[in-house]
Amino acid sequence: MTTTLEYATWEELTEGTEHELTVGPITRTDLVRYAGASGDFNPNHHDEIYAIRAGFDKPFAHGMLQGGYLARLLSEWLGPGSFKNMKLRFNALTWPGDMVICKAKVVRRYEEAGERLVEIEANATNQRGDVLIKATATAAPRS
Amino acid sequence: MPLDKSVLERNFPEFDFRVERGKIREYALVLGLNDPVHTDLEAARAAGFEDLLAPPTFVRQFWHENPENDPMPHLGYDPKRRLHGEQEFEYHKPLVAGMNLKGRNAIVSTREKEGRRGGMMTFVVIETRFVDETGELVQVARRTLIETAAPPKEA
Repeated sequence: MTTTLEYATWEELTEGTEHELTVGPITRTDLVRYAGASGDFNPNHHDEIYAIRAGFDKPFAHGMLQGGYLARLLSEWLGPGSFKNMKLRFNALTWPGDMVICKAKVVRRYEEAGERLVEIEANATNQRGDVLIKATATAAPRS
Repeated sequence: MPLDKSVLERNFPEFDFRVERGKIREYALVLGLNDPVHTDLEAARAAGFEDLLAPPTFVRQFWHENPENDPMPHLGYDPKRRLHGEQEFEYHKPLVAGMNLKGRNAIVSTREKEGRRGGMMTFVVIETRFVDETGELVQVARRTLIETAAPPKEA
């Protein structure tokens, strides 16, 4: 028996409502598993020698791994399949050993063409406070 | 090196993207998605989906892309200076296992800009449109690929 998650309702999602999720520390195994799941085998994410020759200190996470964590936060909060759009802007790299701290906030709650929508601003930062990703999304949570 | 402009003249053919239960489960588990709509068929159906629901970033998996249908390998970018700058998704219909999508990639914008430490940075936006068997739009993904001016240290 699997447990169904409780999602926030549109009524509960007043402007300023926040939600967060912390993932990590990120391991090299996470990077390799993401490469396998996504099919993105850019060697910068698993090949130490390649990454160093490319000017990095070591392999680093796929932007979409952190992006996937941020999307997970939004999906588990607002309900899966509730999204209209999502935009992720990658800002800094995530290294093995780093934490990914995802935070999201309702910036607008409105009705448009008979749909009840929320606009979300979100970001992911690491334990040093560097912004990894900035994101925006629009969703139609259940009422 | 600068953008290989010949890629802008080229049309990239439609490709098939079969959405599989196993890949949805694997992708969800890697991200730690605890929602059973991605992993348990009964839970997905109870939530109103026809089959396992793909996580929101699922179409950014690379399994469906190859040099025949994707402009990315033809941009002329130095792979060591290539960064994924932005990723955008538009959701039109639930993406569930068993769907046989047709996808098509197209370059929708390009620009160049001087980097902070000199040299030119190139930005290319590739849009991928996915339609279902009936031709209805399911999702649109847009990725911004940047070639940095110098080997990037921490961004």
